Amino acid sequence: MDIVVAEDLYLLRDGITRLLESSGHRVVATAATGPETLDVLLTRRLDIAIVDVRMPPTQTDEGLRAALQARRVIPGLPVLILSQHVEQLYARELLADQAGGTGYLLKESVFDADQFLDALDRVASGGTAMDPAVVKRLLATTPPAARLGDLAERERSVLALMAEGLSNAAIGKRLFLSESTISKYTTSTFAKLGITDDTDTHRRVLAVLAYLNAPG
Amino acid sequence: MSGTRLGPRPGGARPTLAGGGGPGRPQGAKLVLVTAPWVSGIVRWPAHAGLGLARSVILLVASVLYPAPLALVAWVAWLTLTRDGRSGAYAVPNTLFLGCACVVMLSGPACGLLRLLVRRWTGITVADRYRPAAPIVRTPDGFWNGRRYLRSLTVARANQRVHRQLRDPAAWRERLALMAAPFAVGLVAARPVMSIAVGISTLTLTRSSARLGAFPLRLIGLLPLVLGIAMAPYAWRTAVRVLIWMLRPSPAAALSQRVARLTEQRDGATAAQAAEIRRIERDLHDGAQARLVALGLALTTAERTVDRDPGQAKALLREATATATAALRELRELVRGITPPVLAERGLTDALRALALDIPLPVSVEAGPGLDGRLDAPVESALYFGTAELLTNTVKHARASRVTIRLSPQPGNLVIEVTDDGCGNATLAAAGGLAGLARRLALFDGTLFLDSPAGGPTHATMTVPWTSS
Repeated sequence: MDIVVAEDLYLLRDGITRLLESSGHRVVATAATGPETLDVLLTRRLDIAIVDVRMPPTQTDEGLRAALQARRVIPGLPVLILSQHVEQLYARELLADQAGGTGYLLKESVFDADQFLDALDRVASGGTAMDPAVVKRLLATTPPAARLGDLAERERSVLALMAEGLSNAAIGKRLFLSESTISKYTTSTFAKLGITDDTDTHRRVLAVLAYLNAPG
Repeated sequence: MSGTRLGPRPGGARPTLAGGGGPGRPQGAKLVLVTAPWVSGIVRWPAHAGLGLARSVILLVASVLYPAPLALVAWVAWLTLTRDGRSGAYAVPNTLFLGCACVVMLSGPACGLLRLLVRRWTGITVADRYRPAAPIVRTPDGFWNGRRYLRSLTVARANQRVHRQLRDPAAWRERLALMAAPFAVGLVAARPVMSIAVGISTLTLTRSSARLGAFPLRLIGLLPLVLGIAMAPYAWRTAVRVLIWMLRPSPAAALSQRVARLTEQRDGATAAQAAEIRRIERDLHDGAQARLVALGLALTTAERTVDRDPGQAKALLREATATATAALRELRELVRGITPPVLAERGLTDALRALALDIPLPVSVEAGPGLDGRLDAPVESALYFGTAELLTNTVKHARASRVTIRLSPQPGNLVIEVTDDGCGNATLAAAGGLAGLARRLALFDGTLFLDSPAGGPTHATMTVPWTSS
């Protein structure tokens, strides 16, 4: 894949680049500031961009804003946000355009190279990859909203894992269930949430959105 | 309102007066009538006039309470001296002593009465500015050690009181004000009374003597009568204004009080800062720092064993990864406690939105217009953690089903209101977290107002001085 890495700290930028290149990907461009990031995202042809939230010159959320702005110009531009911390607020903003192809992970998720590269693939192909911390906090804080109240315990846990961006096979492995059982649960979940979209990827994104928007 | 009040409510009457300022809304004459405004106005007028007259008379009497006994003593002394001649002269020292005692001991109660009247009628507290008295403590031998070493507590207290009355500059300033009060306050308050008295006496005089001319001329007494009644609802307010001006602390006393308060706040802030730095240092030392040492150790050992025992080296490297993850997690928590990321990146409004998302209750955040500019970082941080504390309180104690956070810029102030529909009964108890919050806000001249009747709802208001940039 052709990948753009936007990260202001040289050590991290270099490390991520090395990890990606060692697993057969190509880093076509790097950026170290917010404006640079926006420029690269809008002009380079890329399969996915890895973007840090906090960047110079203001050291605020420049990276995230550049990514959101680029996605407004090019809908569905795959972006994986890597940050030192995960916030529900930012997760919602990333998912708000419902176009898919977004990820939001903690920086240390690169420690597990296989999972990280897997998440990269998912986002590049239009799926989502949410950090378990975001999803877990939602589980802990979201009171059962009207629509989600209809879901059975098992369906809720499947939905939580779906929100992380896992495939049916991966969810099955986590819950020690067969893939076909999980598939049954996801179908019933989509039905209860009233999601009738055809493509599976988009359906999953919509389910996650329904989940994230439950309290609001 | 059964709320606990700490600091003034924004936009309302100021409960304490540091210096200057006019009286607030009068709190008497609450006649509630459900009629047209002009009808109720006419009905209320006599009530207002009567109340005003009564207050005028009370002020007149209260203002002469202190000078009157002094005048009496002086008069008696004069009489004994002029009438009884030489034998009377022996009585002079006694009378003089009595006079001095009156001067010293009556000013306190007289001033207290005037302050009480001001507070009851206008809601304004004109604080006295006596120097703080040393505490009276009991010694092991059963004596009382206050200003002096005495056997009886009552005597020790009296001794301290007398000493203060003699030595405190504020007390002498009060005496000066009390001597001027009959003229500056009493006469001002008595204007309607005098006017009405003149009017009535003129009317009775012109009626009884036919010599004083024709019918229209007789009505000349009506003029002061009407004037007096018209003045009645207002005259006492002018007098109270003068009274407040006279009783308020001298600029020097007010300034020294402000300095004392600032010193206290600075000490508190320095101590809090030192404690915070110590906590961060300890957290780093015991947490991330130790883990990084462990990480380095694991990597070195892995390097030494990689040729000999690749399996063990791999295990060590996995362990190193886990250690790094744990160190990062600890650092993240630490950073979140210092400055929450969203606050640093987006400012107060979005930080509160992010905070609301993490609370297991439906929280709505409403931000007024004009909040785009960033606040000073310490103020922003205090308001953020203040709101977090209020929300935590709500979650823990209020049994609320929803919460509203409202940010609104007001002229000169930024106001954050946190309202829940819970069971109320929140207090600013001295040892509680909310009192600590009030203290932290005070560092920025901010205030916390809490209205939380039993049965709810709870409405907390934080106010800090702020001008939009």
